[in-house]
Amino acid sequence: MATAPAEATAQGNGAAPPARELIDTDVHERALLEDLLPYLEPQWQRYITHYGWVPDRALPYSQPTAGGLDRADAKPGDGRPGGSDLGLLQRQLLDEFNVTHAILTGWLNASAMQEGWVEFKTALMSAYNDWLVEHWLERDERLYGSVQVNSWDAEAAAREIERLAEHPRIVQVMLYSGYEAFGAPRYHPIFEAAERHGLVVGIHHSENSPTALGRHRYFAEWHTLVPQVFMSQTVSLIFNGVFDRYPDLRVIMIEGGFSYVPHLMWHADQQYKELRHEVPWVKRLPSRIIREQVRFATQPIEEFTAAQLETLIGQMESDELVCFSSDYPHWDFDSPEESLPAGLNQDLARKIFSENARAIYRRLPAPEAARVEGVAA
Amino acid sequence: MTAGNGGGAGTTVDVGPAAELEPGQMVPAQLGDLPVVVIRDGEGELHAYVDRCLHQGARLSDGRMVPCVDGAVVGDYREVEGPALKCPWHGYEYDVKTGCVSFDPRRRLRKVAVAETDGRIVIARRKEDLPAAAPTGAAG
Repeated sequence: MATAPAEATAQGNGAAPPARELIDTDVHERALLEDLLPYLEPQWQRYITHYGWVPDRALPYSQPTAGGLDRADAKPGDGRPGGSDLGLLQRQLLDEFNVTHAILTGWLNASAMQEGWVEFKTALMSAYNDWLVEHWLERDERLYGSVQVNSWDAEAAAREIERLAEHPRIVQVMLYSGYEAFGAPRYHPIFEAAERHGLVVGIHHSENSPTALGRHRYFAEWHTLVPQVFMSQTVSLIFNGVFDRYPDLRVIMIEGGFSYVPHLMWHADQQYKELRHEVPWVKRLPSRIIREQVRFATQPIEEFTAAQLETLIGQMESDELVCFSSDYPHWDFDSPEESLPAGLNQDLARKIFSENARAIYRRLPAPEAARVEGVAA
Repeated sequence: MTAGNGGGAGTTVDVGPAAELEPGQMVPAQLGDLPVVVIRDGEGELHAYVDRCLHQGARLSDGRMVPCVDGAVVGDYREVEGPALKCPWHGYEYDVKTGCVSFDPRRRLRKVAVAETDGRIVIARRKEDLPAAAPTGAAG
């Protein structure tokens, strides 16, 4: 690893992103439910227009911030939430920070909800995906999309992946984490379909993600403990043999940070060495599986010094596991110019800002073909 | 069956009657200051190793001989050629034929020379110290 520190930003607070390519692996676009009605058959429209369906939500508090879930300045000002306005997203993220590739991770994902009305939710995911393609992917070439699926019907989810995989700027399958660990065999058709099409599987937490002890009394507690659910999902995928069964699969854990990763590697390796007979279908040490097949988006990154971050990366024994994410437009957004510490090793910064994501999002166009100019909506 | 007596370099130790160690069984022994575990595998071949787990040093002879389990996909448990020697503490498993730990074939127990002679099991630090007849294991 070279030792040259990355250039500081103009503000002097963080390592500057590279000028050539910046890949943001967590950008939230958002539909209103009424936006999806034209994409639903009448029988499913009625679930919204007549039966009053809204996404079920387990979180016992709202987000006690200036703008609720969103950055206060990311709301369009007409009552719509952050992420619902393409022009604003272009100005505040793509143009301001010269993001060359933004991986859209969505908002509405039935995998994080309870199982009820499973057929409706499967149809709703299809509607969302059609809306995504028409209103986002076809309006700015810097945007890349995720297939939202209903994991409660994994066979239908696999069919939805097949349907959307034809679109050249679909690069990911999205699972939001709610009540279940995704390593269970019932979910394997989703991973099989993703692997077959070279799509990354992104796992994101949600307001329905519990902690080990439920949701606690205060939002600050729940939000502190968000990484727990990513540890659960990572362990579940490893020990249920998902990565052994689908060796070309790549999974990225989004919005849980990554500082837990060395602990998880060490602890899972220890359990594997001692209890391997219980999971004989796992053929590699968990730390090796993680290094070969799992990546972690940065946000919400802790406020590291360069030395602290480099030590943490060293403990992972790989500088290829971490990919930059901003989580725009949410209130805990990480600025590309501020989130990595000033003085960080320049090679490491370049890997985090672009190369590591490029290595797993194999459907992204080659760098020389990538277009960096936006196309106005 | 009882453990053999002490013995240093150039000497052998009589571990006991060969007939009393059946396939899939093990017995502790002492070769001078060296603790040894003698194992008869499923095919009847003898193996001897230093009786100390590579992990935290537990006496492997206090552990268990267990079936080797393999599987291709989640939920698939198949007993395969074995048995394996399982450490009494944290459960590290060793291939009794090679002494390799199950999760890393680069790490293996140190072998001790063992032979079956005149109905007795004999161990030594070096293969050349064993009686000429029928050595069934070699020090690595």
